[in-house]
Amino acid sequence: MNYNWDWNIFFKSTGIGNEIYLDWYITGLGWTLALALAAWLVALLLGGLLGVMRTLPNKWLSGIATCYVELFRNVPLLVQLFIWYFVVPDYLPESVQIWFKQDLNPAVSAYISVVVCLGLFTAARVCEQVRTGIQALPKGQSNAAQAVGFTVAQSYRYVLLPQAFRVVIPPLTSEFLNVFKNSSVASLIGLMEILAQAKQTAEFSANIFEAFTLATLIYFTLNMSIMKVMSIVEKRVRIPGLMVEGGK
Amino acid sequence: MSSMISINNVNKWYGDFQVLTDCSTSVSKGEVVVVCGPSGSGKSTLIKCVNALEPFQKGDIIVDGISVGDPKTNLPKLRSRVGMVFQHFELFPHLTIVENLAIAQTKVLGRSKEEAEAKGIKLLERVGLKAHAHKHPGQLSGGQQQRVAIARALAMDPICMLFDEPTSALDPEMINEVLDVMTELAKEGMTMMCVTHEMGFARRVADRVIFMDRGHIVEDCSKDDFFGTPRSERAQQFLSKILQH
Ligand SMILES: Nc1ncnc2c1ncn2[C@@H]1O[C@H](COP(=O)(O)OP(=O)(O)O)[C@@H](O)[C@H]1O
Ligand SMILES: [Mg+2]
Repeated sequence: MNYNWDWNIFFKSTGIGNEIYLDWYITGLGWTLALALAAWLVALLLGGLLGVMRTLPNKWLSGIATCYVELFRNVPLLVQLFIWYFVVPDYLPESVQIWFKQDLNPAVSAYISVVVCLGLFTAARVCEQVRTGIQALPKGQSNAAQAVGFTVAQSYRYVLLPQAFRVVIPPLTSEFLNVFKNSSVASLIGLMEILAQAKQTAEFSANIFEAFTLATLIYFTLNMSIMKVMSIVEKRVRIPGLMVEGGK
Repeated sequence: MSSMISINNVNKWYGDFQVLTDCSTSVSKGEVVVVCGPSGSGKSTLIKCVNALEPFQKGDIIVDGISVGDPKTNLPKLRSRVGMVFQHFELFPHLTIVENLAIAQTKVLGRSKEEAEAKGIKLLERVGLKAHAHKHPGQLSGGQQQRVAIARALAMDPICMLFDEPTSALDPEMINEVLDVMTELAKEGMTMMCVTHEMGFARRVADRVIFMDRGHIVEDCSKDDFFGTPRSERAQQFLSKILQH
């Protein structure tokens, strides 16, 4: 096979303005970060709320949360993205439709669709982690919280959630990593995040291996840094004197 | 003597299984009542009905004039006035000892942080654990944790105290340090309902003993009657088993 390896390709001109290929990746990284962080914020808030709802004795609240999880977990992410991007906008009020389809920069409307899609999809997964974390606490803790006079809301706020939060840091970290990986679906609706930039670089330069290797390295570095940060967080909030999970 | 806790014909089911059948008794102000009986007889369930940690389907429980089963009752408020101590301590592991004692005082009773912590420290001094105020529960022994749990309940200035086998999760050498604190409380006139198998404690401290079996209150009599001439065969068997060692 006749392949011209060229690792300097990233510093060469793309032929568009005075951009080099590396600039594309930097733009891509910006989109990926903006997507993942916004979607994660949505997932964390909504998923946390749903996770708490699933542990409440109220049948309606826990039922709603259960339905949500089943719906969003069982429909493939790509299908959900196409629904949010191609179908849902048609059912919005006319003025919002015009704004979304015509006034907005296409990149921004794609961005909104992916954030909503990925946020709601990941919320279902966060919900399950939070629920498991709360249910893993000894039953006596909620009894003790109520016995000192806390309302249900106060029991969660002061006793259950601070403990569950610590338990769910490791599984939530891996959900956070998934958000970064899943954000690459945005390339399918034309949002120029890292994967899309790599594809474009491959097409323009014909250095397909280098193009995707750099994308891989960027994802890898992102993941490693997040894991590092989260393990520092985990150590910082560890409860003194408490056995590590799985101990006892 | 006026009644602090009055339990009237309480019945409770878990699905089809009846845990409590027509339970009636009362605890007067300042009285110490020991509840004993074989494992699974419904002791924990009964005592948890008193502060509504467990709901019951029939009957009524009145605590200091307030009906526990009445849907209009403000249960958190009622519970804040009834101290409870659990078999497995159930301190809040993520908070320091003094925070464990202060948090409900500030969030439920509305005391200032300074006031709540000062009160917490005073109670820790009383149970001999002031030096541990800034540790976490996991750094204390079982006996120490249970003494903190008693102090946590006392910090709310309870009108009565419920104990659910407070010493049965403890190593033998730690049982007495907890019983000593409980004995002292009883001497000060605290109204207490204690599920326990510590018959030495019952003999020394209790006014009355209740014996439960399969969800029924089988014996409910003065301490002297109970240890002198327990009337039911089940109670006699139970006593002979428990007093053997
Ligand atoms: N949540 C529950 N669901 C079903 N059965 C229960 C539940 N809690 C307790 N029980 C049953 O109720 C009975 C009384 O339990 P408990 O009050 O804990 O007994 P004790 O404290 O005297 O050992 C036991 O047979 C137990 O298995
Ligand atoms: Mg019990």
